[in-house]
Amino acid sequence: MTQTQRTLLPLLFFTALIAAWEIAMRGFGQAGLVPGPSGIVVAALRTLGDGSLWSATAGSLQRVAIGFAIGAGLGIPLGLVMGMLAPVNRALSPIVDSLRSIAPIAWIPMALLWLGIRGNAALFIVAYAAFFPFVVNTIQAVRLIDRNLTHAARALGAGNWLILRAVVLPSAIPSILTGARISMAFAWGSIIAAELAMGIKVTSGGSAAVGLGQLMVSTLYIRRDVDALVLYMIVIGLISLGIDLLMRRLQRTLTPWRQA
Amino acid sequence: MRALWRRLGWLLRGGEFVLALAIVVALWHGLSIWVGKATLVPPPLLVARAWIALLGDTLPEDALASLGHLAGGYGFGVTTGFLLAIACTRFATLEAIIDPLIELLRPIGAIAWIPLAILMFGIGTGVPIFLIFYASMFPVFINTLAGIKQVDRRLVQAAQMLGAPRRMIVTHVVLPAALPLVLSGARLSLGVAWASMVAAELTGSDAGLGWRIFWYQEFFAMDRVMAVILTIGVLGYSLDTLLRGLQRALTRWSPDSEAATR
Repeated sequence: MTQTQRTLLPLLFFTALIAAWEIAMRGFGQAGLVPGPSGIVVAALRTLGDGSLWSATAGSLQRVAIGFAIGAGLGIPLGLVMGMLAPVNRALSPIVDSLRSIAPIAWIPMALLWLGIRGNAALFIVAYAAFFPFVVNTIQAVRLIDRNLTHAARALGAGNWLILRAVVLPSAIPSILTGARISMAFAWGSIIAAELAMGIKVTSGGSAAVGLGQLMVSTLYIRRDVDALVLYMIVIGLISLGIDLLMRRLQRTLTPWRQA
Repeated sequence: MRALWRRLGWLLRGGEFVLALAIVVALWHGLSIWVGKATLVPPPLLVARAWIALLGDTLPEDALASLGHLAGGYGFGVTTGFLLAIACTRFATLEAIIDPLIELLRPIGAIAWIPLAILMFGIGTGVPIFLIFYASMFPVFINTLAGIKQVDRRLVQAAQMLGAPRRMIVTHVVLPAALPLVLSGARLSLGVAWASMVAAELTGSDAGLGWRIFWYQEFFAMDRVMAVILTIGVLGYSLDTLLRGLQRALTRWSPDSEAATR
């Protein structure tokens, strides 16, 4: 198969698929009940026009950024300590592993109780999700450091602090950045889950939709706008693609010596 | 300082985990005393008691319901991903269509499908099974495709030269060589499937551990909520350990088995 075929074939297939979708939807008279391509475009124009999509997306992204920062701030130091001190690692890793196995979203009732619905409960879920990839990848990073480097530094008289700053951290950065990429993906998935769960389970009178998840819930249960629902799914997909591209680029600029 | 650590380490070797667990439980207990409200931070003893009470109450049926969702969705998802990947390596045209489709759908995480899944299946077992299926399909598909593609051509050619029929090459050369990557895909799948299962049960189901969390929250029985949350962690951890054991047993021969099963 030639290169042109490889690009043309899927393009043709998708065009045909979208056309068939639209025709089938209209043919069976299901417009408004079943999402359709033209309806999605209309919904996109409308929600972009009145700003509801923008504000919801911005709200979700803001919480992801804060939760991600909290996860990094707690996860990287813990990972460094666990990676450098074997007894600490042996003691804590079963605890970390079993806490990691709790789906972040399961904490939502406790988070709601502790932090309330004003976005902070979702923040807890995001930070929890972002925390563990940082821990795991930082431990891995410290483990993989060339022992000769630390031994050489110690032989030259470097203390623990200097070794941490001048040897361990720089060599650990590539793997920590990989952790950051995974964290970011988890964080984005969890914020949507948290907002959906809050939107569905917490019926707070008249609280405005503050994130994409809540927007989806109100679109589903109140406005019954299936076209907008699919539009929001596409937006979620585009943002996770964008986040991944951004993190990859960051990784390349920060660690140019690594050909990942 | 290092000598002290070493001596401490010697003393505590093996007992470290018990010590750390004791410290965590003590901190938890201290926190709940400091907060002073058993609903806000249920003390560990209360949670343990709630867990024991739940064992004779709703926990078995909820765990069974969750595992049922998982078995249906994960089994279906892994099989689909695996077979689709095999079909893609066999037919180049199919791969040219399926691969971009997968890359388009994959960024839309399973979670994003929840509202549409509720609309399609209604509140019930359909939502978690669909979500688990969707979440577990991608890692297996991608890893199987990569696994089959990285099979050493020379092995296949050697088998061909020795007169092995096509079917035998697939079952005896290609699939075993791809197995390590397929299995690590299956483990990745299980991780996302587990998280999606809990999210789906929380939002769009009427059974399972995730659903039970909100059920007890309505009664403000936070000790029971905590007990269910911890059960989710323990069960998820056990399932991963099980799969890791399987991985280790089946791919002992592979040079990167040690790294993959850590």
